[in-house]
Amino acid sequence: MGKKWLYVDIPLMDYEEARELQLEIVQARKHTTFDRNVVLFLEHPSVFTLGRRGERGHLKVTEAFLKSKGVPIVHVERGGDITYHGHGQLVVYPIIYLGKEGLGVKEYVTGLEEVMIRSAGDFGIKSERDPRNRGVWIGNNKLGSIGIAIRHGISFHGFAFNVNLAMEPFTWINPCGLQEIGMTSLERELSGKMPMEEVRDAVRSHMENIFEVELELINLGKLRMLLKKS
Amino acid sequence: MKEIQELKFPEDLRYTEDHEWALSEGEGIKIGISDYAQDQLGDIVFVELPQKGDRFEKGGEFGTVESVKAVAELLIPISGEILTVNSTLDGSPELVNKDPYGDGWMVEIKPSESDELGTMMIRDTYVQFLKGKK
Repeated sequence: MGKKWLYVDIPLMDYEEARELQLEIVQARKHTTFDRNVVLFLEHPSVFTLGRRGERGHLKVTEAFLKSKGVPIVHVERGGDITYHGHGQLVVYPIIYLGKEGLGVKEYVTGLEEVMIRSAGDFGIKSERDPRNRGVWIGNNKLGSIGIAIRHGISFHGFAFNVNLAMEPFTWINPCGLQEIGMTSLERELSGKMPMEEVRDAVRSHMENIFEVELELINLGKLRMLLKKS
Repeated sequence: MKEIQELKFPEDLRYTEDHEWALSEGEGIKIGISDYAQDQLGDIVFVELPQKGDRFEKGGEFGTVESVKAVAELLIPISGEILTVNSTLDGSPELVNKDPYGDGWMVEIKPSESDELGTMMIRDTYVQFLKGKK
């Protein structure tokens, strides 16, 4: 294992803050001497996000209702439609210079799916791909979602893996713009909460195997310092 | 993904590091994405392009291409005003995969600066650039 990607383990970070951090890394990668791939692991406080082609029509409740629940909606540059993030969902944002890694987008997305499939497998859950709808599925229910954006050949955004996530907010939308699908989580499949730390470890180790890299732990402060210095 | 030697890069085009190509045609310059870019992205399901008359500075985002849940930003290599947009990509985005230098072209721009085209990479330089990435 020669290659190392930086890995930041963040307990909780606001969606907007995480997005700015990703953009900062993309900018640094493109315009400065900063030359590392970075993977962020985190959870978001409750938020709905709409991808490029996302339609508010896929929101089944009023915005006033969401306001009353304290859940904001954010427009973002990733692919995909509407989705929900919240506590108990592991969000992984790899910021990777795909061309330099010799990775095609399709191959990369397939790799991210594989990370989720194998991680679920570690907890005894069998999940699979659906070639028509990317992401990871158990029957008609989605266990993990993918949405990435590419700027200057650098991929950002990533995947969201439902671990112990509250499912109710998904009933307020047509997730990913699809009707007649449901969402699920490890908790729901196993009828019990999974320790998030164990899930983070599983995802981290599968990521290392699938992309043939070592994830080198760095804390957020140090990453920000590297970005500033570059 | 294909090897570089399996991909096509016509001699008469100019290229950017962000994998756009440009070709001078009459008063306009046609722009699209390279065979390498379409192969990287995989099956393209949606192309978002600007409107006729929109103005851009070199390096500005003029649209996006979307494939397998990935959105890639398109950066314009030439400053100027959009003369025509390839609207057939609306219904047939797969043309970008099938024929990136022909039916899969994206926009035609009327350049506002002189010789930005001349500063873009020629075929051999672009191919060397791609090989350096591998």
